[in-house]
Amino acid sequence: MFYRVALWVPVLTGLLLAAGSAEAANTGNAGNGKLVYQRYCLSCHGAQGNGQGEAAEYMSIKPRDYRQGTYKWRSTPSGSLPLDSDLEHTLLNGLYGTYMPTWRALDERSRLDVIAYIKTFSPRFTTEKPQDPIIIPPDPGYSDASVARGDAVYQKYNCAQCHGAGGQGDGPSAHELKDDWGNALVPYDLTKGHVKCGDKSTDIYRVFMSGLAGTPMPTFADSLSSTDAWDLVHFIQSLSPGYAKNMAGTVASTTAGGAR
Amino acid sequence: MTRNGSLRVVLQLAVFAIVMFVFISPASAIPAFARKYSLRCTACHESWPVLNDFGRNFRDNGYQLRLGRDDAVTADPGYWPVAVHITPRYLYTKATNQATDQGVKDIGSGGVADASIDLLMAGVLTQDISFLVVPTGFAADGNVHLESYWAYFSRIFKNSDWLNIRVGQHEVDLPASGHRGISLTDSYLLYSYHPGVPGGNNLSAYDMGENQQGVEFLGHDQTSLTRYSVSVFSAKDSLGSQNGLSSPSVYGHFQKYFRFKDGPVSEAEFGAWGVVANYPTEFLTSGGAPIPGSGSKLQSSTRYGVEANVWLGPTVAPLHLDFVYGHGSDKKELLMGADRAGTWNGAFVEAIWVPPTDLLHWGIFGRYDIIRNQNQSLSTAPSNYNNQDQWTLGARYTIAYSIRDEVAFHGEISSDKVKGIGIGGLDQRVDNIMLGVDFTY
Repeated sequence: MFYRVALWVPVLTGLLLAAGSAEAANTGNAGNGKLVYQRYCLSCHGAQGNGQGEAAEYMSIKPRDYRQGTYKWRSTPSGSLPLDSDLEHTLLNGLYGTYMPTWRALDERSRLDVIAYIKTFSPRFTTEKPQDPIIIPPDPGYSDASVARGDAVYQKYNCAQCHGAGGQGDGPSAHELKDDWGNALVPYDLTKGHVKCGDKSTDIYRVFMSGLAGTPMPTFADSLSSTDAWDLVHFIQSLSPGYAKNMAGTVASTTAGGAR
Repeated sequence: MTRNGSLRVVLQLAVFAIVMFVFISPASAIPAFARKYSLRCTACHESWPVLNDFGRNFRDNGYQLRLGRDDAVTADPGYWPVAVHITPRYLYTKATNQATDQGVKDIGSGGVADASIDLLMAGVLTQDISFLVVPTGFAADGNVHLESYWAYFSRIFKNSDWLNIRVGQHEVDLPASGHRGISLTDSYLLYSYHPGVPGGNNLSAYDMGENQQGVEFLGHDQTSLTRYSVSVFSAKDSLGSQNGLSSPSVYGHFQKYFRFKDGPVSEAEFGAWGVVANYPTEFLTSGGAPIPGSGSKLQSSTRYGVEANVWLGPTVAPLHLDFVYGHGSDKKELLMGADRAGTWNGAFVEAIWVPPTDLLHWGIFGRYDIIRNQNQSLSTAPSNYNNQDQWTLGARYTIAYSIRDEVAFHGEISSDKVKGIGIGGLDQRVDNIMLGVDFTY
């Protein structure tokens, strides 16, 4: 009898799996997403999505208030809504140095569902469309010369005012910064070998061009050339051996795709 | 029990349940990881204490989220790596066909059961070295023992999750955790079953669900969808032999998970497992008593099997079906009075349903365990001697959970029937009714 049962289990399972082979959806179900949110997100971001969950009071870096539709990590220009793929990028990678973990272990269906639900907190998602993603030219490659030029760019744009001369987040303005909700902020310590929004060179480049919405970190898209931006990326990468450096100068990704 | 007696017990339980719902206020304290990472219990547990995908990956990573806030220095200063778990409960147990001086009788008794506590101490010592220490006991008998104690070294090869090493007393990587099962009145029969000889003893005390002292080698992919585990240990409850490992044993487990973006099945898992546990059968003696550590002529208890898990509906609120099958064999030298090896088959099917209600308060579960002997170790014994059937039904309602505690109302009934082990070959059955408050802080 046991062998018969052992045989039937994979057969029945196979039938169930076959029944589930319909074409996959690309957008999430906000109804299921509410349950995903309650299971994983509620304690920090709050039932109203206002960033005031039960844990928020004890956090030095406050959870994001979703109601304004402003997100730090975007592939889109400053002021734009993020793409769904931007939100999924944050779910997949987490935000290093904060309380936001990577949710890579969640299945894709849950990720899409919770993204659909998070978007319901801001009316902007019903009235606006995200702008086209920022175009990121290929990384010319990490080199000492580029690092030296990046150092000059770092001085020219007065990055040290917040991030400090050594990039340790201890500039003269470091203790005066607040986010859009009035919470005190500490500039990121660039010497950690990790960047909050992703460690790839394109992730660092993108921050210069998109800014970090809701924080004092502005966009430099109108003033920084792509050459200068890559040099600045390489200068930041020189601050820690922890960064993976693109020595060969191979082609980097250009845009982020995904549903809007 | 008479009809009036049954009615009285039901009424008592109903009153107890009402009292539980009305008067229990949420506990307020701090489970270690929830406090450390500001996550609710639901983040890691499908229905406490069964782990979900995120919880399994968190455990495989050595209880680290790897955000630069894991170790004792960088973690939140409020973090203290201690949590307490206890379940005050009413338990009614009835055992049938028991031998007494007054003849074969059914014995039933109930009351608020003597509870013990688990002190769960776990954390990260430094990056990629984590620990777990669990003293348990503290009940009326005063006994305390260490249920678990281990150190876990993650990513032995830099940035690769494929080799991690756990050293100490640990639960082997079972198809369904014996220590983390949702049922509180019974255990998985498959893990602890041994064939028996009427009136005889078994020198092998191997129990798959019991924590073992040894080394575990564990590897997994980034999301723990492909996993393996190999534990090498000296089996517990052995008098010990004169070998390097006194009761040398090895357990292995492989699992592969599959995910589906659409359709009724959101996730499925298949796996295989096996163990060889060796126990000594001959000893030097002193005054006729075996001298510990002097054993020889090791003989094996072997178990191997397969498993399948299916999650129907969204993984956030699934109907989770778990099927585990195993075949077991104990050498005849381990069984006093045996004339051949005892072999058997066992299985269980467990279902856990998390209804998609607001805040996921409910967990409803059921299980059926079955043991069927294949070759009785005494060839003249009845073919169905010691066969077992066990079923369990229960529900769990989480009254409150937060980043600091959880308190749940837990009720379940179970029944375990064993063939032919009573006086005159009578069957015996043990029934349990439990209502309790399970809380951790």
